Amino acid sequence: MDQLLLSIISGVSNGAVYGLVGLGLVIIYRSTDVMNFAAGTMALGCMYLASGLHGAGVPLALAVVAGITVCSLLGVGAREVLIRPLGPGALFSALVVTMGLSLILEEATRGIWGGEPRDFPALVGGNATIGGATFTNQQLLVIPVAAVAMLAVAYLFKKTPLGSAMRAVAESSGTATLLGIRPQRVARVAWALGMGLAALGAAMLVPTAGLSIGGFTGVLFRAFAGIFLGGLTSMYGAVIGGVVVGVLDNVAANYVSASLRDTFVFSLVILVLLARPQGLFGEKTFARV
Amino acid sequence: MRIASVLAVALTALGMAACGGGQTGSGGGSGGNGPIKLGAWFPLTGPVAASGIPQKEGASALFDQLNAKGGVNGRKVDYIARDNAFDPQQTIQAARQLVGEDKVVAVVAANGTAPSAAAFPFVMNQAKVPIVNTYGGAADWYKPAKPLLFGDQTLYEEQGAAAGAWAAQDGHKNILVVRSDPAAFAGVAKYVEPGAKAANPGAHVNQLVVKFGTTDYSPIVGQVKAKKPDAVVLILAFPEASAFLKQAKLQGVDVPAYGYGPTADEGLIKLAGSASEGFHALSLTKPAMDPSPAMQEYRQALKRFAPGQQPSSNSAIAYASAKAFAAVLKKVQGAVNADSIAKAFESAGTVKTGILPPLTWDKGHHLGTNQLQRVAVKGGKFVAVGDFTTPPPVVGQ
Repeated sequence: MDQLLLSIISGVSNGAVYGLVGLGLVIIYRSTDVMNFAAGTMALGCMYLASGLHGAGVPLALAVVAGITVCSLLGVGAREVLIRPLGPGALFSALVVTMGLSLILEEATRGIWGGEPRDFPALVGGNATIGGATFTNQQLLVIPVAAVAMLAVAYLFKKTPLGSAMRAVAESSGTATLLGIRPQRVARVAWALGMGLAALGAAMLVPTAGLSIGGFTGVLFRAFAGIFLGGLTSMYGAVIGGVVVGVLDNVAANYVSASLRDTFVFSLVILVLLARPQGLFGEKTFARV
Repeated sequence: MRIASVLAVALTALGMAACGGGQTGSGGGSGGNGPIKLGAWFPLTGPVAASGIPQKEGASALFDQLNAKGGVNGRKVDYIARDNAFDPQQTIQAARQLVGEDKVVAVVAANGTAPSAAAFPFVMNQAKVPIVNTYGGAADWYKPAKPLLFGDQTLYEEQGAAAGAWAAQDGHKNILVVRSDPAAFAGVAKYVEPGAKAANPGAHVNQLVVKFGTTDYSPIVGQVKAKKPDAVVLILAFPEASAFLKQAKLQGVDVPAYGYGPTADEGLIKLAGSASEGFHALSLTKPAMDPSPAMQEYRQALKRFAPGQQPSSNSAIAYASAKAFAAVLKKVQGAVNADSIAKAFESAGTVKTGILPPLTWDKGHHLGTNQLQRVAVKGGKFVAVGDFTTPPPVVGQ
């Protein structure tokens, strides 16, 4: 029983990170039709920056906030300099551009901070025991942080004019323009918000997993699985999908096979998508042919 | 006309490149008094750069130190390092540059099993340039002995056997191997059991296979807890071994842990912190902070010639590999070429670096050692446990 609890809570904690990153990806995708494959590298690079700032004497919380802020700005910069010139509808070109950006940023991070894995201090210290299983408070912190982030994003989208504008652009950029909404401004906000959430996810994970170049690849991979499982168009789906992936991953490692955990999780995702192509919470869309 | 000129230039360049390989066996080193040109490939970029850069710095520091003292037999050494990004194709490219452009007489202390193996046909068979003391290696590199290939590192398989033997000698009978799933780890892990049984026939070994790249070890530690082993042997990359140790400490799993060579990395202590205390590992070298004179000399060389580098197992091994090569090179009288280097290795007797185990090569044995140094984490650093030790003879049996 302890073991099951350990797998589930630890899985929820990991899944919350996947959910935060997935939420960021969905916000960017819905507003600009771009799947940002550089999100993991950008977020991790900014945590290297936070680590560097902290090493230079900046208080940890401030260093993390600075890292998240820089990641948001980096997102806006990438969008303006690399994605916007591609023009609308350049889905595959944008995909390749973000992949290339990821490789460049990875090498830049290695060049600046070196390739050695390094530790990252916990944002909150101490441990907590739940039902015989022990967790670091850092692991547990991720869960409310992801929940609050999800609720805040939901509020933004449903209760604020900016959120309405973002939803309008997501439905139809052309119609939104006719209504007086500036899609470029919405896109900038979406990239800033999306990358901020990805960096927040990284900030939650690195105290546990440490900093290593390429160390966020697996997270991005699972975040993608989460958003496809939850539904590419659903904010809730991104977070819930991420949590489901995190829990299944750990339960599979414990009760199926520690070496086939990914195989198990992704087989399940494929089965769900075969039965429900729009994902668990996504909306069915129709295209005129 | 213009096309013909371009074609002629291209063909000439191709011809020169092709010829480059054929003339290099006696390249930068033959009879003159100029510098002896040596080279190596390292992953200076890409995912393995974290080990490649300190290795390059360690080997370079040794040759800089030698040059500062007058070189080898009065000749300076020009050590040229090229980036291979841990990629076999890029290694072949680097090898062609080292041999064709730089005219090196030997490849010394290069990095990587698979990348180096990819360069063997060109470097050793075609260009007739020796490759010595590579970081990595496999059993088939040395059995049978290849004329121009010499090594100074105990094979990974023997490291697995040594880890099993150490755990069994410490009185542990129920041993659990936690290993990553790729074949490279499986090949090491399979020798833990024979190693343990050689030390204690009553020992039995089980394996727990983990997905490579796992960061959350809570389910794995849960399984370890359920299996109640006396000891665990970690055949994992050091970041994963760190994650295991941290999670084991968190869950109160107080089982002695042993690791093979790659876990004897200072990065493990950095990542696992206090959870690494007491961790046992088999190291290819004396610990980087060992108080012995040879290790002090290494640290001084690093401080002087690679001031940006902290002492580490990676720079120590490359420094020692270069040192062992230099000791053999010193025995070469006259022209420095593939033949004289190979002969010097085969008649070198025993070479002591004070960092690696004593190295002995002869005509039939081109791998200089199968010994290892036992180390354990005490007070936040690796310390030597006894002297160099020989694993039980179970590999290749």
